[in-house]
Amino acid sequence: MALELKHISKQFDGNVVFKDFDIAFQEGVISCILGPSGCGKTTLLNMMGGVTAADGGDFSSLDGKRFSYIFQAPRLLPWKTVAENIGFVMDRNITASERQQKLDYLLQMVEMDHYAQYYPSQLSGGMAQRVSIARAFAIDSDVILMDEPFSGLDITLKKNIMERFVEIWKRDKRTVVYVTHDIDEALLLSDEIIVFSKAPVKIVAQTQVDKDNLQAVKDLILKSLE
Amino acid sequence: MNKKKTYIGIISVAVMLALWEVAALRIGSEQIMPGPWATLLATIRLFAEKDFLLVVGNTLLRGLIGFAIALVLGVGLGIWAGINEKFEAFLRPWIVVMRSIPVVAFILLALIWFKSGSVPVFIGILTMFPMICTNVIEGIRNVDGKLIEMARFYHASESRIIKEVYVPAIAPFVVSGISSAFGIGWRAIVIGEVLSQPEFGIGSRMHAAQSFLNVDVLIAWTLIAILISFLFEKLIRWGEKNLIKWK
Repeated sequence: MALELKHISKQFDGNVVFKDFDIAFQEGVISCILGPSGCGKTTLLNMMGGVTAADGGDFSSLDGKRFSYIFQAPRLLPWKTVAENIGFVMDRNITASERQQKLDYLLQMVEMDHYAQYYPSQLSGGMAQRVSIARAFAIDSDVILMDEPFSGLDITLKKNIMERFVEIWKRDKRTVVYVTHDIDEALLLSDEIIVFSKAPVKIVAQTQVDKDNLQAVKDLILKSLE
Repeated sequence: MNKKKTYIGIISVAVMLALWEVAALRIGSEQIMPGPWATLLATIRLFAEKDFLLVVGNTLLRGLIGFAIALVLGVGLGIWAGINEKFEAFLRPWIVVMRSIPVVAFILLALIWFKSGSVPVFIGILTMFPMICTNVIEGIRNVDGKLIEMARFYHASESRIIKEVYVPAIAPFVVSGISSAFGIGWRAIVIGEVLSQPEFGIGSRMHAAQSFLNVDVLIAWTLIAILISFLFEKLIRWGEKNLIKWK
């Protein structure tokens, strides 16, 4: 099954970013959008999430779908504790005990259960990002959109959090659309990689990621970026 | 270091009192400048006066009413102006005028327009509102757009965004505005009382003391006004620590 977006057009101040652009994401897998900075990757994410309006296009396959977000910066509310931050996005209609159960589960999942009452100012960057990952899983979203969520973390931390994310995702396989400009990250994390050109955006490569032959995939991608 | 600083502060006050005593001795006239000891006695006598609570209570009441109104208006209009650029453009000249007119001019006009008990309240509002409002506007400007975006992405309702994102974000600015506004407002209210002379008020008593050349009583009332100001300052700081505990 795939989420198909068709005939997307978007321009900013006369700069055409997307013109009659089609793209399809397989559901239940991690798809990565790779491309140079400023090419429009984030814009596509924003349009999918309904935060930026497209000038035109068929987004009907997204109708009725719920979205979660993980941003580059954790974007936690500084005046709320870890628990309150995760609770902030949860459904307003669930009972208090359901809420607590879910919270406990999520915190354990990201190994932050001892830090539930901490404020963001007391957390390290990696810990804060873990909270924002837990937050993304706090609602029953169908699609998780991630915008360079691991950049800005040092290498060991990055690897650690990426692995953790995959572990969590394996238990609850939502569609993930993830934007980055880091090829190695993309290779480690994704099932499929879609490479964007500069604006006006075209797809210059689209490939499944063969975990047994990452070098070949990497070569293919690098070639397409030339 | 903090202990040392308190120590130095105490020594500084002691120097102040010593210089006062020296000046008083040189001038040699209790009528013109009473020494610190005579003033202390006058202050203690004031506490014993039968109307003391009524006098202080009335001034405090005027202060608090003026402050409450300035706070509600300042935060309400400030939030609106912070969010709505057009409204901010409209409000700006009003704030500039309020800040630039000398307090005394306001008081003299108010004396003509209002009855004497309300003049100090009116003055309090006029001096405190612009400060609170300006701080709130700045607070809104400083709200991290990325946090608002996050809240919007997760489809939080508009009222929750205001309550759980905007309000806590501007809280430090509001507190700062309150702190500045209170200092100025309190002084303006006492001045207002000096000129409008309501029946019960610290300012009225100061005026009376001055016209009867009871300099010790005049200074005593001043000390009481300073004490109250100091207590409120402490209260505000305590409030700040308890409300803004996430830093």
